[in-house]
Amino acid sequence: MTRSRTSKKSPKPANSRLRSLLGWALKLSLVGLVILACFAVYLDSIVQEKFSGKRWTIPAKVYARPLELFVGQKLSRDDFLIELDALGYRRESVANGPGAAAVNGNNVDLNTRGFQFYEGADPAQQIHVRFSGDYVADLTAANGSKLAVARLEPLMIGGLYPKNLEDRILIKLDQAPPYLLDTLVTVEDRDFYHHFGVSPKSIARAFWVNASAGQMRQGGSTLTQQLVKNFYLTNERSLTRKLTEAMMAVLLEIHYSKQEILEAYLNEVFVGQDGQRAVHGFGLASQYFFSQPLSELKLHQVALLVGLVKGPSYYNPRRNPERALERRNLVLDLLEQQGVATAEAVAAAKKMPLGVTKTGSLADSSFPDFLDLVKRQLRQDYRDEDLTEEGLRIFTSFDPILQMKSEAAVRESFAKMAGRKGSDEMETAMVVTNPETGEVQALIGSRQAGFAGFNRALDAVRPIGSLVKPAIYLTALERPQQYTLTSWVPDEPFQVKGADGQIWKPQNFDHKAHGNIFLYQGLAHSYNLSSAKLGLDLGVPNVFKTLTKLGVTRDWPAFPSMLLGAGALTPIEVATMYQTIASGGFNTPLRGIRSVLTAEGEPLKRYPFQIQQRFDPGSIYLLQNAMQRVMREGTGKSVYNVLPGSLNLAGKSGTTNDSRDSWFAGFSQDLLAVVWMGRDDNGKTPFTGATGSLQIWTSFMKKADPLPLDMAMPDNVVQAWVNASTGQGTDASCPNAVQMPYIRGSEPQPGPTCGGPTAPAESVMDWVKGWLN
Amino acid sequence: MNKWLIPSLAALALLNGCASQTRSNIPVVDSGSRVSNGERVSANRSNTYRAPVQAQTPAQAQSIQEDSGVTVMVPGGANASAAPISTFTPPISTSQAPISTAPVNQAPVNNTYTPPAATGSTYNMPSSAPTGIPSASSGGLSADEQLDGPVLALLTTAQQQQSTGDLNGASSSLERAQRVAPREPQVLYKLAQVRLAQGDAPQAEQLARRGLTYANGRASLQASLWGLIAQAREKQGDAAGAALARQKANG
Repeated sequence: MTRSRTSKKSPKPANSRLRSLLGWALKLSLVGLVILACFAVYLDSIVQEKFSGKRWTIPAKVYARPLELFVGQKLSRDDFLIELDALGYRRESVANGPGAAAVNGNNVDLNTRGFQFYEGADPAQQIHVRFSGDYVADLTAANGSKLAVARLEPLMIGGLYPKNLEDRILIKLDQAPPYLLDTLVTVEDRDFYHHFGVSPKSIARAFWVNASAGQMRQGGSTLTQQLVKNFYLTNERSLTRKLTEAMMAVLLEIHYSKQEILEAYLNEVFVGQDGQRAVHGFGLASQYFFSQPLSELKLHQVALLVGLVKGPSYYNPRRNPERALERRNLVLDLLEQQGVATAEAVAAAKKMPLGVTKTGSLADSSFPDFLDLVKRQLRQDYRDEDLTEEGLRIFTSFDPILQMKSEAAVRESFAKMAGRKGSDEMETAMVVTNPETGEVQALIGSRQAGFAGFNRALDAVRPIGSLVKPAIYLTALERPQQYTLTSWVPDEPFQVKGADGQIWKPQNFDHKAHGNIFLYQGLAHSYNLSSAKLGLDLGVPNVFKTLTKLGVTRDWPAFPSMLLGAGALTPIEVATMYQTIASGGFNTPLRGIRSVLTAEGEPLKRYPFQIQQRFDPGSIYLLQNAMQRVMREGTGKSVYNVLPGSLNLAGKSGTTNDSRDSWFAGFSQDLLAVVWMGRDDNGKTPFTGATGSLQIWTSFMKKADPLPLDMAMPDNVVQAWVNASTGQGTDASCPNAVQMPYIRGSEPQPGPTCGGPTAPAESVMDWVKGWLN
Repeated sequence: MNKWLIPSLAALALLNGCASQTRSNIPVVDSGSRVSNGERVSANRSNTYRAPVQAQTPAQAQSIQEDSGVTVMVPGGANASAAPISTFTPPISTSQAPISTAPVNQAPVNNTYTPPAATGSTYNMPSSAPTGIPSASSGGLSADEQLDGPVLALLTTAQQQQSTGDLNGASSSLERAQRVAPREPQVLYKLAQVRLAQGDAPQAEQLARRGLTYANGRASLQASLWGLIAQAREKQGDAAGAALARQKANG
């Protein structure tokens, strides 16, 4: 500036003046140069520091369980296709290349993508799956040989984001699909491979275009400049920033190859905003828009992504599909014009629809409740920075198919209840686990699926009502000399004086007494009188000991009212308690995470299967029998209006005073579900455990179609024939004979036979018919 | 004294039954099987289903008494005759309901004389469905310990990982096998072995105990599981418990 002003002021000067002026100018420009050089050195250090170090922080990625495939596996074709769709498999007539599937009736051919698991890498492979009924009937490799077992890559269900909410999936240059690099260079910076960071030619062209159009049409920025801008600089629009950008671009080109710069660009470019989350890089963009890995993208998809760079919001294909399509086709035309793609390829690509998925399926909001559980478990072992910056890969037990089924069960059940007074304010929570492994498979924290808010499954502490009763009966059944399933117990009114001097007088739900009943009937029908009396006889502290062994860690006061479930638990705590019953007396800490890998695929940490035997399998077997009778003849029997009689289930309903809480907890062989319904303000509702939560539970079990409960009979258990009315030992040939399990030695003496075997055989047939239908 | 009491109590609760168990009198072979209607009826007709159970009862009670004076789940032989049923009061109220005649699934279980292979004779499921373990195949294992399909493949992988010292990898593969076939005691056995190798003796013991609950009628496997429990108890410094388990393994 100084120079130019000086030269303007001076008219035709004398030689001496000119010389001194030149001297000044020289000196000044030298100073300028030095300053510029210093600035360049400074910029250079910035450029190098950021580019050579860790360029990006990568949020931890959370994955669902990988879907296993093997012959004999219970998996319906439709569920399988849901999984494939969620994973973004392309449906093609002939499966061609990773991520493609061809469906032909019950036969599905697919090319898996390959994945780095905790215990090793699974290569991408071609497999053929044949379904029969709801089972996998055949599993073969491409060459026709039988496959013992195969698994799909796991679905990514979310990430753990840092405060700036930047997200990306890092890709390497060789993962770029065909056309991507050429298209990018053609559209954004045709001289990329020839310029030195800035392109005077482009600037001139941009100037020309803009000048002739009278408005800003084209930017003259090279890819390098764009990268510098995104990478190092703010969004400010000023000449100084522009100059700094140009200098840094040149410096970057000096230090790094075109390949390195291009790779960085692919990962840095901003292509969209997903709610609060910025979508950076083509790797993530590909997942975000197409639910597919970048390497699988076809020409029309590549054109769309590259077209987006110019205006991610303006050309957003989900919000502005017409603009996006127009832009995509413009890019395709350009490719044809520049000879990047053939006319045929472009014509074919132009015929394709946009092909974006409805919502970003990697959105971290899809399954917020389960992710919440994962985060809480991770925070016990990792610092926040490790989780949000190190690109950890977290493998969970989440089962998207079961989650979708549980969400559908909630949705449909609420739709059916709609219109009943008070049902609008009802909330719900649900926990689904695998009783064999203790893994959490699905989680619902509110009736509105995908809504991140108060996670009732983990945080709603509510009185559990009759869900506590199995603990009373288990305490009794652990004393076989004293109690069997057919011991007589009174169901009569009584009252006791509590420690605080207050009189406690329990009542049955129907306000009736039922006289002398068999022990198990008190549980099956959830009678309060007999259950409370039994609990008092056993001693509240003893029942509490059983609760502790079942996995309940709350410190409740030993009031008699606790026997009827005045104590409060969260749904996931209830799941822990019932898990111990469902798994034959082995307590398992519920797990949502299986293992953690570093960004490079190195095993970091496992969360192994851990169990502890807390009860004799015999008493658990008897309790399970009583809990199956809850379903066959007690408060849970409405399930068999919907479910087939062949499906053995065990469970227990729970209702608190004025139906403020409606609970149902129950399990099959391979599935345990706990459902809670109630109001957040703890208000009264019109739903009991049976009319509320059991409806959701039943609907879920119908969709999930689990295996019938079938606990192996322990060695110390025997089956004995007893008279159904008297409980006395009898013979199978006698009328009214039923079989009940007993701890060996506690069974009643067998009675005499009652003649020929024909009659009882028929009656057995009748029962069988009765519950097979 | 208490330190001894608890393990032996726990041990007894488990050991219970196995001592007197021989291959010939296992009435509850594969209680996991669902029996078809036909079998149910015919078993009932034969009326012979109880014999083995009864024959076993005294021996069972006896063996428990011999083990220690601690009363566990099973009353002693003397008590057994004083059946609790004699103390039953007859129903006073007419309102009381009889036991529902709708059977719960366990009802037919002790009728099963069907071999494990019959697991498949269920209502509508392919034979290997529930666990993915078809029961018959050829292999290096003894007759009643054959495996094939996914479990064998995964156990083989785990074996390879274990042999190269990758215990975490082996563990991970075995848990994968466990998810495929949660009730296959061999998977739990291998998992217990790996835990032991990893130095987690308490978990090794627990996993072996879980395995035992699924190993009814598989004598050689039961013996192996007891052997493993013995090792795990030794590692935990429980010599008496180990000796007891060793006894079970050899019995």
